[in-house]
Amino acid sequence: MTSPTHEHEQEPAPEGLAEVHDLMQVLIKGVRAIQLYLPNNPVYQRALENIRTAFGPVWEMTDELELQVHEAELLWDGAQVLSQDNRSESIPWLLFKDGVRRLTMLPGAEDEEIVRLLQVLGKARNLVTDSPDDLLTLLWDQDFHAIKYDYVDLGMEEVPRLERSEEEPARPPEHVQQQIQEEVQDEQPQGIVSIDDFDSTLYFLDEREIEYLKHEIEREYSQDLRGNVLRMLFDLFELQTYSTVRSELVSIVQNFIPYLLAVGDFRSVALVLRELRTVLERSRELLPEHREQLETLPDTLSEPEALGQLLQSLDEATVHPTEDELGALFRELKPEALTSVLSWLPKLANERVRSLLYGAATRLAKAYPDQLVKALDEEDEPVLLETIRLAEQLKLPPLVPALGALFPRTGPEVRRATAKALAAMGTPGALKQLEQAIVDADREVRVDAVRAIGAKRHRAAIAVIEEVVAGRKLRDADLTEKTAFFEAYALLAGEKGMNRLKELLEPKGLLRRKEDPQIRACAAMALGRIDAKEAREVLQRATSDKEPLVRNAAQRALQGDKQA
Amino acid sequence: MTDQTGHPRHRPSIADSLQSGEQLLRQAGRDFLVHLYAALRSLKLYPVENEQVQRALDEVTSSANLLLELEDELEVRITGEFIFVNATRLRLSLDNFASFSHVLTTLRQAGIGVIRVGGDVDRREWQIFISQLLSSAGREGDANKFAELQERLVRGSVVHIVVEGMVEDEDDFDDEEQAKEVAKRTYERTVAVTKEVVNSVRMGRSASVKKVKRAVQGIVDQVLSNEVSLVGLTTIRDYDEYTFVHSVNVTIFSVSIGKRLGLTKLQLYDLGLAALFHDVGKSRIPLDILNKTGALDDDEWRIMQAHPWLGVLTLFGLRGYGEIPYRAMIAAYEHHMKVDLTGYPKSIRDRNLSVYSKIIAVADGFDAATSRRVYQTTPLQPADVLKEMWENPRRGQDPVLVKAFINLTGVYPVGTCVILDTYEIGVVHAASSDPSQMHRPVVRVVVNADGVSLGEGFLIDLTDNDGSGNFNRSIIKVADPDRYGITPSDYFV
Repeated sequence: MTSPTHEHEQEPAPEGLAEVHDLMQVLIKGVRAIQLYLPNNPVYQRALENIRTAFGPVWEMTDELELQVHEAELLWDGAQVLSQDNRSESIPWLLFKDGVRRLTMLPGAEDEEIVRLLQVLGKARNLVTDSPDDLLTLLWDQDFHAIKYDYVDLGMEEVPRLERSEEEPARPPEHVQQQIQEEVQDEQPQGIVSIDDFDSTLYFLDEREIEYLKHEIEREYSQDLRGNVLRMLFDLFELQTYSTVRSELVSIVQNFIPYLLAVGDFRSVALVLRELRTVLERSRELLPEHREQLETLPDTLSEPEALGQLLQSLDEATVHPTEDELGALFRELKPEALTSVLSWLPKLANERVRSLLYGAATRLAKAYPDQLVKALDEEDEPVLLETIRLAEQLKLPPLVPALGALFPRTGPEVRRATAKALAAMGTPGALKQLEQAIVDADREVRVDAVRAIGAKRHRAAIAVIEEVVAGRKLRDADLTEKTAFFEAYALLAGEKGMNRLKELLEPKGLLRRKEDPQIRACAAMALGRIDAKEAREVLQRATSDKEPLVRNAAQRALQGDKQA
Repeated sequence: MTDQTGHPRHRPSIADSLQSGEQLLRQAGRDFLVHLYAALRSLKLYPVENEQVQRALDEVTSSANLLLELEDELEVRITGEFIFVNATRLRLSLDNFASFSHVLTTLRQAGIGVIRVGGDVDRREWQIFISQLLSSAGREGDANKFAELQERLVRGSVVHIVVEGMVEDEDDFDDEEQAKEVAKRTYERTVAVTKEVVNSVRMGRSASVKKVKRAVQGIVDQVLSNEVSLVGLTTIRDYDEYTFVHSVNVTIFSVSIGKRLGLTKLQLYDLGLAALFHDVGKSRIPLDILNKTGALDDDEWRIMQAHPWLGVLTLFGLRGYGEIPYRAMIAAYEHHMKVDLTGYPKSIRDRNLSVYSKIIAVADGFDAATSRRVYQTTPLQPADVLKEMWENPRRGQDPVLVKAFINLTGVYPVGTCVILDTYEIGVVHAASSDPSQMHRPVVRVVVNADGVSLGEGFLIDLTDNDGSGNFNRSIIKVADPDRYGITPSDYFV
C-alpha cells in the first residue's frame, strides 16, 4: 500500500483505508479494461467482478464513499487513496481538470452505474480540445442516482453577481396605507383580477388535452429533423431575394450534403436534390451564379469520388436505407453516376446493400442505356462483369454492339459472361455478335455460343459451324463440345446437312478411314435432330454398329425422334 | 431455448433485471401515490361510508400491499420537490403531476417528511391515517400538529404506519438560502454564457459549445430540484442586456413547462437548448435597430422580423456541435409563427409546428410582455399578461400550452405585486402546489396593514385557512410595485 503523502498523513489512518485503496486500484484497472475490451471479453468481465467485490468491504464500513479530488490524488477521509502523477494516465487529473472536486458513491453504484462511470472516464480521456463535451457534460448525460459529483465552474469566476436594487428611502407608512386604501376602494380599477376570471378548473388539463400533449411530444421525437430543417432552408431560399443570404444558403446546402452522407441520411440527400429542382423553377430574381451553383450540385454528387464515398458509407453503415429511400436518391443522380455504381457493386461486402444498389443501378441503366454502353468500355473486369450481368437482365438492344466488342479484348470470364448475355438476349443482332464466339479460344464460350445459335436457328452462322464440324480441331474437343457443335449444325443445316453427317457416321469404301466413335456418335445424335426419313434409316442401321457408343447414340437419337 | 413463438428466449441480464425491477417499483409507486391522492380527495369531500371513499381506501390498501410484496417495506420520503418511494424517485408526468403535487403539499402541511409502512398494514389503519393527515394538514400555524398527529395515530392503534417529521426548520432555512445561492449562480452563469455566444456571433468568432451545454444542463438541474428559486429570478430586470436575460428567462420557463409535461431529463435539455438559442438570430440584427427606443419603421421592423431565420443561419455557423442543433434551429425559426402558420417567417412548404417551438413561444410571449425593454419601459403586470395570453386568440399560441403555463405559474405569476384583503402588500413567491388553488399562491408579505415596509417580510400560503374553511388571507388586487417603491426581484436575489 502506498503511504499517504498528504498533509493529513500525521493523523492516524482512518479505519477502512486499505479497503478504499484496494477499490481504487481495481477501478483504475477497470477503466483500462473497459477501454480495451468488449463486454463479452473475460478480461472485461473479470475487471467488473473485481470492482464489485472490492465495493463489498467498503460498504461494510460506510454507506457513502466520498472522495475529495485533487490534481494528482484522491483523498478519502483526509487520507490519500489514489495517487497518479502522470497526467495522461491520471484519473484524479481527469476529474480535476474539468472541475470535479468531489466524487461520492452510494451503495448500489457498483451494480450498473460504475460501468457507465468508467466508460465516461474512458471517453473523457480521449476527448479532443474542441469537442462539444467535457467530463461534466458527459457525466450529466448519465443521470446517475448512486454516484454524485460536485464541481466548480471553471472560467466563470468573473461573472457579475446578481444584486438587489438600490434601496429607496422608506415611504411614510401612513402615505402607503392611504394609497392602499384608495387603490382598493376604486371601483373596478384596472388591474383587479377577479377570482371569477380565474376559475381554477379552467386551467386543469383534461384527458383530451393531456393526450394531445403526449401526442405532440411523441411527434417531436419521431419527426424527420433534418428534413424539417432542409424545408426551412429551401423556403428561405425562395422567400429571401438578398444575394448575400442566398449565397449563405447555397453554401449551407453544399456543406450539408457531405454531412448527410456521412451520417447515412440518404433520404435527406434525395430531398435536397428534389427540392433543388423546385427552387430552380420557382425562385424569383435568381442570380446566374446561384442558379449555376444549384444546378451543378447534383453533378457533384454523381462524381466518382463523391459517389464512392457514399457507397462506401452505405457498405459500412449499420442501418441501411430502404430500397425506396435509396431509389429516391439514385433517381436524382446524373446518368454519369452509373459507371461508378457499377464499379462499386463488386466491391460491396454487404449483401443487402449490394442488392439495394443493384436495384438502383437497374433503374438507372434502364433510364440511361447509353451510360451502360459507356460502362462496357471499362477495362476493369469486375466492373465489366457487373455491367454485363445488368445488360443480360435488361436485354437492351443498344448494348449489343458494345457487348460484341468485348470478345476480342477481354479475358475468358468476361467473354463467358458476354456470350451468356448475348445468348440470353437472343435477338438477331445479339446472335450475330455471338458468331465470333464460335471460334473463341475458351471452350465454355464456344459451347455457350454454339448452343444459343443452334437453339435460335441462327442460320447465318452455318458456314462457320460447318467449318468447325468438318475441321480437325473439333476432333480434339471433349464430347460435350462435339455434341454441341454437331447438334447446332443439324439444327441449322436441316436436311442439307444429311450427307455430311451420314458420311461421318457410316463412311463408304474400303479406303476411307472411319471417324472415331465419339464423332460418329455425335453425328448420330445430330441426325436425330433432322426430321427426315433418310436420317431415320441411317440411324436405324447404326443401331447395329459394332461400336457400343455409336449404337447407343443412334438408339437415343431415334427415341428422341419418336418422343418429338 | 425458445419461447412459444419459436424465437430464442432472451435470458435477462442483471442490468435488465435491475432495470425492470426499478420500473416495476416506479410504476407501483406512482399507482400508490395516485390512489393516496384519490383517498385524500374523497375523504375530504365525502363521509367515510361513501362508496367512493370506500373504493379509494380499497385501492390505496391494495397498491400499498403490492409495494410491500415487491420490496418487503414501504417508505415514502419527501425531499425538496421530489417524492421518493423506497429510495426511487418518482418522475412527474402529465398523468400524475397534479396528484403528486397535492400529496406533497398535504404531507408538508402536516409536517410529515417520511411515511413508513409495515407489512401487516390494513385498510382500517389507512382510513385513520388519511383522516388524521387531512385534519392535521388543515391546521395552519399549529406548531404541535405533527406531534399530535403521531399521538392520534397511536391512539387509533395505527401501528403499521409510522410518520417522521420534516427536517429541522433551521436546516430548511439554510437549505433554502443555499438553494437560492445555487439558483443565482446558475442564472448568472447562463446569462454570461448567452452573452458570450451572442457577442461571439456578433464579432464573427466561434463560441464555446461546452459552456452552453453546461449552462443548459445547470438550468435543467435547477428546474428539477429548485424550481421556485430559479423561476423567482426571472423577475429580475436590468441585470444585463435584455436579449441575454430574456433568453435565460425563456429557457427557465420552457424547461419548467417541459417538466410539467413529463419530459425526461435529456428531453428537457433539448428543450432548454432550443429555448436558450431562440433569439440567437438577433445577434445579426444591427444594434441600432435592436436598441432603438422609438417605434421601428417598416424597414426596421422587416429587419427585426428576420431574426427567426437569421437564427437558423447563425446556428449553422456555430462550430463544435457533435450533432447540428436541429431542434434549436427549428425553434428559432418557428417561435414567432402562430398555430395557424401565420406570423413570421412565412411558410411555403408543409410545416407542423414543433411542440418545443410552441412552448418557447408561450414562454417568450410572457417574458417579453413582462420585461422592461428598450421600447417598452413599463412592463405589464404578469397577471394581466397571463390573462391576455389566455383570452386573446390573435396571439396564435397553442391554448393547451397556455393552460399548461398557467398551471405552472398560477394565475398570479411569481413576482406579481398583490394587495391582500388584510390590506397588506405582498409579492407572489411561488405558485400554489395545489393545482386546484391556482389563485392562492405563496406570497411574501412585504408591507404590513399599517403601511410599514417589512424588509425581508415573511412567507404566507394563501391556501391556509382557519380550520373551518375560511381562508386567512386572499388577494383582492394586483398592484403596480413601482407605486409602492417595491422591486419584486429583490426578494429572489
